[in-house]
Amino acid sequence: MQQLFAQILPSLKEAGWTILFVVLAIIVIEVVAYVLLAKVLKSPHALPLMLLAPAAAGIVALIIYPLIWELNLSFTNMSLRHFGDKAEYTWVVCQGVDPSTIGNWITDCLIKNYADVFRLPVLKQVNFFPVFFRTALWTFANVSLHVTGGMALALLLNRPLRGRGIYRALLILPWAIPQIIAVLAWRGEFHYEYGYINILLTRFGLSAVEWKSSPVWNFVAMIITNVWLGIPFMMVVILGGLQSISQEFYEAAEMDGATPYQQFREITLPLIRPVLAPAIVLGTIWTFNNFNVPYFINQNELETSDILVTALFRAAFEYNRYGFSAAFAFVIFVVLLLYSVAFIRFTGGLEEIR
Amino acid sequence: MKKRLVWTLFSILLIGAFAASACGPSAPAATPTPESMTIALWHQEGEAENAAQYVQALADAYSAAHPNVMFEVTNKNTEVLREDFQTAALAGSAPDLLWTVNDHAGPFTAAELIQPVDDLFDLSQYVDSGLAAVVLDGKTWGVPISNGNHLMLYYNKSLVDTPPADTDAMIAMAPGLIDKGITPLVFNQTEPFWLVPWLGGFGGSVFAEDGVTPTLNTPAMVQTLQFLHDIKYIDKMVPAESDYDGADTLFKEGKAAMIINGDWTLGAYHDQMGEDLGIARIPMVSATGQWPAPYTAGKYFMIPSGTTGSKLDTVVDFINFATNKENQLGMVTKLARLPALKSALDDPLVSGDPLLANSADQMVVGVPQPTVLEMRCNWDSMKPEMQAVLADSEMPADAAARMQSSSENCMATLE
Repeated sequence: MQQLFAQILPSLKEAGWTILFVVLAIIVIEVVAYVLLAKVLKSPHALPLMLLAPAAAGIVALIIYPLIWELNLSFTNMSLRHFGDKAEYTWVVCQGVDPSTIGNWITDCLIKNYADVFRLPVLKQVNFFPVFFRTALWTFANVSLHVTGGMALALLLNRPLRGRGIYRALLILPWAIPQIIAVLAWRGEFHYEYGYINILLTRFGLSAVEWKSSPVWNFVAMIITNVWLGIPFMMVVILGGLQSISQEFYEAAEMDGATPYQQFREITLPLIRPVLAPAIVLGTIWTFNNFNVPYFINQNELETSDILVTALFRAAFEYNRYGFSAAFAFVIFVVLLLYSVAFIRFTGGLEEIR
Repeated sequence: MKKRLVWTLFSILLIGAFAASACGPSAPAATPTPESMTIALWHQEGEAENAAQYVQALADAYSAAHPNVMFEVTNKNTEVLREDFQTAALAGSAPDLLWTVNDHAGPFTAAELIQPVDDLFDLSQYVDSGLAAVVLDGKTWGVPISNGNHLMLYYNKSLVDTPPADTDAMIAMAPGLIDKGITPLVFNQTEPFWLVPWLGGFGGSVFAEDGVTPTLNTPAMVQTLQFLHDIKYIDKMVPAESDYDGADTLFKEGKAAMIINGDWTLGAYHDQMGEDLGIARIPMVSATGQWPAPYTAGKYFMIPSGTTGSKLDTVVDFINFATNKENQLGMVTKLARLPALKSALDDPLVSGDPLLANSADQMVVGVPQPTVLEMRCNWDSMKPEMQAVLADSEMPADAAARMQSSSENCMATLE
């Protein structure tokens, strides 16, 4: 017991110090905000600003500062040979280079890393655009199947059905399992010799599939896993939307002689659009940025299975191209931002929320 | 009203602060003595080989003798250890000690993340081949724990009477085994560490004589890739797909007759198979008459640059403890690895063991594993192309050409 206590004590101390530090930091922020806003500036909004101050400090420390740090990093040549304090800005590096070897000062010096994202391989062999289009295919395939599968299951569960609660709980189960655990379990099932899927295929007289070494089948394995993981979220969102639609619309439509398909197209789809459009945007961003499934299912590190975020991880942490990777990350961020703005404007998905 | 709310907020925060400090570390009894310390040790040993347990046992034994020293032993995959250590060092939270492979010395020294050990230890007590694998720029960057880390041929004596002497003999014995439902040979088809011995057997090397220029697009590499392709698709000697664990399991379950694997797993195989386990050199390449040349190195302690003061003294003392003769012989007994300490290597426990003698015989034809940072580029470039050839999706000549261009691209990014 004493030994157990001795083992636990250090971690308790560590947690205690962390809590103490956070509480003291909040007190300091509040005192400074109080003195500044209430006493010096005599602001009428002192209290709400004081209440916001700790959260704002957290956002600055955890989001704003890392973003600025990364933006700064994206203009440096940081790599293993230029690690930490030894990293220099790419335009500073240019000052020590023979000017006749520099073709364009902007792309070869100022924004070299950003230009390199598009002109050099982002992995070992593959350039940005093949990975980008593969990511688009991966996202489109997954989100389409998530929406289709989620919609079908939600429509089934929205009907009067015996044991509906049990079905719903079972269908939500993949969502409840930690993603990384589910992905590693699926990876085991894709094992050539011992995986359940290949065992099943061979029992039915079919050939076992090389899920890990075949580029096509590995990509299919990634999609199978992600569809299994993603359908519950879409189903829950769509089911929520369906249950908010008043039955009176359907009754009126039936009296007018509308077919089930017409009811679906004219009533269900328009009325669930306010929940479906944001869900698709979220699903797209999550799938586009999904790291766990492509990284862990692609155990053999096939370049043909890498999407942008896994390529980014490899560039940063496996190939140690830190400055380049920071620029690469901003490029991915801009791609997603443009997509989200365009999609929301095109679908008008957030109009109801406004 | 507002004033009251402001004071209420302050009161809550102050109460929270007192509560936190009361349950926190301020109680005098809980304050550690100045000598107390916790050493964070990261290693990359596997549990299946009982090696992870061995590392923990060493740490526990040291803590038992030095109650003021605690260890936080963290087990990581080899590549994850490298990636995490670099990231942690950048964030200023690196561990105090590493137990890892020699080729990590390349990236770690390039980034100045580890310190030389020449002035900290009497290195003359360790075998020269072990030390040579961690010497860069005239300095020694690690203390050897084991000597070898080389691939060799393990065979199941209940399935194979005599190990094949050359590749022709190996291919000739395949049909008989396949007819019995036994896979003749397994190895990790996903890592180029398993390609390198064959490359040596075909007379190739991954670097030119300068030790940093990649030589991957060579006739020897094409022949090596063709050989690996043919034993898979023509001779059907190896399974359609097998990573490290898959190959290991097939051999342990008696479903594969032979496996090419490292000396690190000798102890586990011996525990599992007993007298049925045999060890031999990887068969000679019949086409060239040369022995395959696996990389040799070992496992090493590396000390991060940030480990200084009393922690450094403790780490040095622990390393001396972990590599003393008694513990080196303990490693031989528990893990069946060749020790790095000269006095332990000369002990009858090592020289009189037939399995270790065969392991040492394989090591004789091995070559030291390059430590330079450029080797990372070669590993990363060989891996996808080797896999593509073994997936029958690329011709060996094309794969060799792509290996070379990929490695050259990678080396350009190192700067």
